[in-house]
Amino acid sequence: MRIEPFTDTPLSILAYDGTPKENPDSLGLGKDDYLHMYRWLVFVRGVDDRGYILVRQGRAGFYAQIAGQEAAQVGSALPLLKDDWMYPDHRSQGSMLVKGLSAAEWFGHVLGRTLDPTQGRLMPHGPGRRDLHIVPPASTVGNKITEAVGTAMAQRIKKRKEITICYMGDGATSEGDFHVGMNFAAVYQAPALMFVQNNQYAISMRTDQQTRTKTIAEKARAYGMPGYFVDGNDVLAVYAVTKHCADRARSGNGPSLIEAYTYRYGPHSSADDDTRYRPKGELEMWRTQRDPVTRMRRFLELRGWWSEEQEQRLQAEIKAQLAAAMEEAEKSPPPAPLTVFDHVYETLTPHLAWERAELAAELGV
Amino acid sequence: MATVQTPPQTQLTMVQAIRSALLEEMERDQDVVILGEDIGVRGGVFLITEGLIDKFGPERVIDTPLAEAGIIGAAVGMALYGLRPIAEIQFIDFIFPGFDLLVTEAAKIRYRSAGQFGVPMVIRSPYGGGVRGGAYHSQSPEAYFVATPGLKVVVPSNPYDAKGLLIASIRDPDPVVFMEPKKIYRAVKSEVPAGPYEVPLGKAALVREGKHVSIITFGAMVQVALEAAGLLAADGVEAEILDLRTLQPYDTQAILTTVAKTGHVVLLQEAPRIGGYCAEIAAYIAEHAVEHLEGPIVRVAGWDTAFPYALEKVYMPNAQRVVRAVKKTLNF
Repeated sequence: MRIEPFTDTPLSILAYDGTPKENPDSLGLGKDDYLHMYRWLVFVRGVDDRGYILVRQGRAGFYAQIAGQEAAQVGSALPLLKDDWMYPDHRSQGSMLVKGLSAAEWFGHVLGRTLDPTQGRLMPHGPGRRDLHIVPPASTVGNKITEAVGTAMAQRIKKRKEITICYMGDGATSEGDFHVGMNFAAVYQAPALMFVQNNQYAISMRTDQQTRTKTIAEKARAYGMPGYFVDGNDVLAVYAVTKHCADRARSGNGPSLIEAYTYRYGPHSSADDDTRYRPKGELEMWRTQRDPVTRMRRFLELRGWWSEEQEQRLQAEIKAQLAAAMEEAEKSPPPAPLTVFDHVYETLTPHLAWERAELAAELGV
Repeated sequence: MATVQTPPQTQLTMVQAIRSALLEEMERDQDVVILGEDIGVRGGVFLITEGLIDKFGPERVIDTPLAEAGIIGAAVGMALYGLRPIAEIQFIDFIFPGFDLLVTEAAKIRYRSAGQFGVPMVIRSPYGGGVRGGAYHSQSPEAYFVATPGLKVVVPSNPYDAKGLLIASIRDPDPVVFMEPKKIYRAVKSEVPAGPYEVPLGKAALVREGKHVSIITFGAMVQVALEAAGLLAADGVEAEILDLRTLQPYDTQAILTTVAKTGHVVLLQEAPRIGGYCAEIAAYIAEHAVEHLEGPIVRVAGWDTAFPYALEKVYMPNAQRVVRAVKKTLNF
C-alpha cells in the first residue's frame, strides 16, 4: 500500500473479505504480529461487550460502546511507544487498553469504584493514567485537541523523541477547537497525530451533515499538513498509516491528520436510541460485510494461521480473563464520601476545609 | 574589607516588577515558558515581556497565532506534560474564546484525574477600566473565574505584590488567573527587591488601619479606597482597607478580623454589582460575622451595564462614591 495523503478512497490493505490486496509483510510485520493484533481486537471487543452489560444490568449509569471501531483503535494505538502521550476521546477505550490500562481498571471505572485510576470522577468515558501518559478524556467534544497539541509542543520544546496522539470523532471536526488545534499543530510542527474516528454519526448527525467536504482528511490541506484517509476497519491499514505518521512526527517532520473511516454499531451511548436515525439495513450491512474483527480473522485463516479451535480457545481464555477482571472491580469499594473534597486543588483551601467539616458533621464521620 | 551585601531595592512600576518576576523565574526554572500574542519581538502590547525573547529564545518565549483557545489549550497541554507555562492573554476581554478550556479543562483535570495530573500554569492578563478602552478593553470578569472550583484568582494592587504574587503563582501547582490592573501598570511605583521572593497566595494585606469602617477591595480599586480614606480622615472617619490580593481562595480570617474590629463594611469592585465578587464576600460576612455588624454591608461597584467608552468616568467607582457608601453604613 502506498501511503499517500488526500486520496479519494480509503487506503486499505485487506479487502472486506479479508483478502490482502497486497502482501502486508512489506510493512515489516510477521505472523506473531498479526496474531497479536487479532488478539487485541477480540480482547477489546470482549471488554466492551462485558462493560455494556453493566448498564443493562442497571449497575452502571452510562456506556459508550466502541463496537465496530476496534480496528481503528487497536491499529492506531499499537504503533505508539511507551513514552508517547495519548489523548483519548469519549469512545477510545480500545486504544487505552492497548496503551496499558487494565480491563479491571476499566470495569472499575464503569462501576465508579476506587479501582478506577480516576476514582469515579468522570462518567464512564474513560479514565486516565499519568504513568501510562493517558490523559483522561473530556465529555465536552473537541476540548482535548488544543491540549494535545500543547503537549506535543512541549515534547518538541524538550527535544524528546516522543509523540502525542489525539483522538476525536467526526463531530469534533466541526468544533472551533479543531481549527485552532490543527493550526497550532502545523504552525509549531508539533509531533502530533490528529486521529479522527469517522464513525459516520455524531449522535444522530451524519458526517455529510457536519461538513461539505467529501473527506475529513482533506481539511488538513488548509493547515499545511498531510491528511490520510484510511479504511478504519482494516487494522493493518490503520496500523501502517499511523506508524508512518508517527515516524514522521518522531523524526521532526510535524503533525498529520488521519481519518479512519469506520462505523459504530451501538447507539451513541446507552442513553441514545439509534433506531430513530439509522437507515434500515445500514448497520446490518456493516456488521456482516465490513466487520473489523472478522476481516482480520479471515486474513489469518487465509494464511492458514487460524482455526475454529484456536478461536474457541481464545474466546474462552479472554472470557475467563474478563471474569477475573470484573470480580476484581466489583470487590473494589466506591470512593469514601469525604474524598469529594480531594484534588480540587493540590492542598485543601480554608473554604473547602470548612465545607468538609460541615459534610463530616452531617454524615457523622 | 568585607561589605555586607543587602539585596538592591529599586522603585519599579508594576510593568517592571512583573517583567522581573518573569525573567527571574525563567532563569531559575528551564520549564517555565511563556506564550501569547505579540509577546516576542513586540514585547507584548504593554511591553511586559520586552527583551525576554532575546534572552530565552523563541522556544521559551512563544509568539502564538491569534487564538486565545489555542493559547490556553496549548498551555494546559504543556502543563500536563510538566512544563510551567505562563500564558498572556492580551486583554482579559479577549479570554472568552479560551474560557471553555480554562473552566472545563484547566480547572477540572486535577479533580477529574483524582490528583494524577495537575495544571501548573498561569494566565496573565491586563484587566479593568480607566484607560479609555471601551467595552472590550476594560472589563473585570473575575467573578466568572472565582465561580469555578479548581482555579485560583490573583489580583495585585502594587508593584511589590505583583512580583511576589506572580512568582508564587508560577510556583503554584494549580492554574492561576493572574489579573493585572492595567490602569496602574505605570501609575504606581513601589520598592521592589531584586531577586525572587514570594507573596503567599490566599493572604490579604492590611493596607491601612482604621477603627470605624472596613473597606474590602482588590486590584486597581485599592487606590480608590486610599483616596476615599484620605477624604474620610478629614471628616474624622478612620477607614481600614483590606486588599484581598487573592480572590480564590480568599483570606477568610483577615475578613473576619477586620469586620470584628470595625463593625461596618464597604465592599469595592470595578465589575458590575449583580453576581459580582463582592456578593460572595458580603454573603460570607453575613454567614460568619453578622453579630459584629452595626450597619448594612454596602457595595460600591461598576453599574450593571456593559463598559462604556465615552462615559467611562461615569461608570468607574470613585472615591466620592466610596465616601457616600461609608456614610450610608455609618449613619445607619
